[in-house]
Amino acid sequence: MNTQNQNGYMLLFRGNDWTKSLSPEEKQKVTDQWMAWFKRLTDQGKAIAGNPLEPEGKIVSGKNRVVSDGPFAESKEAIGGYFLLDVASFDDAVAIARECPGLPYGVQVEVRPVAARMSAG
Amino acid sequence: MNTQNQNGYMLLYRTDEWYNRLSHEELQKLIGQNQAWFERLTAQGKAKPGRALERTGVIVSGRNGRFVTDGPFAESKEAIGGYLVLDVETIEEAIAIAQSSPGLAYGGSIEVRPMADECPLDVRARELAREEQLATV
Repeated sequence: MNTQNQNGYMLLFRGNDWTKSLSPEEKQKVTDQWMAWFKRLTDQGKAIAGNPLEPEGKIVSGKNRVVSDGPFAESKEAIGGYFLLDVASFDDAVAIARECPGLPYGVQVEVRPVAARMSAG
Repeated sequence: MNTQNQNGYMLLYRTDEWYNRLSHEELQKLIGQNQAWFERLTAQGKAKPGRALERTGVIVSGRNGRFVTDGPFAESKEAIGGYLVLDVETIEEAIAIAQSSPGLAYGGSIEVRPMADECPLDVRARELAREEQLATV
């Protein structure tokens, strides 16, 4: 894998079912940690965007453009949010991914190099 | 589902690299169509620049991120190939835009997701706090 990338990296946070076993205090604690983590990365100029996604939505697929409900709410694989990172190496991006406060609870962080441009889906 | 959302929508492109099955000519035509599609949406103020993701990467999991595994991103039908952010107010409009994406004719699917104002974690924590409060009254 090319470990240098000028277009940055995307962290995709996977798992929408891990909070069910947490108490309100634990949940609050993880949320606060997550916000502080994002703020620190933003202040350091390492995170340029980030957003949680609502645990709902639709999937559009195929030639006939069929619309179906996605299993987003209680899925281990579903994407719950993302960060866009402005760091130069893949190792930096992985090091940041390893700081994710959700990891002890089962969140998985997908680390993907961003390509220069999108030509088609 | 709430059909109004001021934070916009994210289109997540799921791909199994269907474009490898197209001829050079078909691919050029599609790239042209897609460019025109995106330029129109941008001119209307409905789309912000999206990004494609390389078909490489890893998945980090476990306490302190102790597991780092290579993801099978290329072969999987579910893999995310890229995203677009739409600045529209209803999910119906976001779905209609997703449906007009030229690449769908060839394969893949597009996930349409409302962007959250507040993290769903915060919302859930507040609900639980309220339930506990009610239980003690």
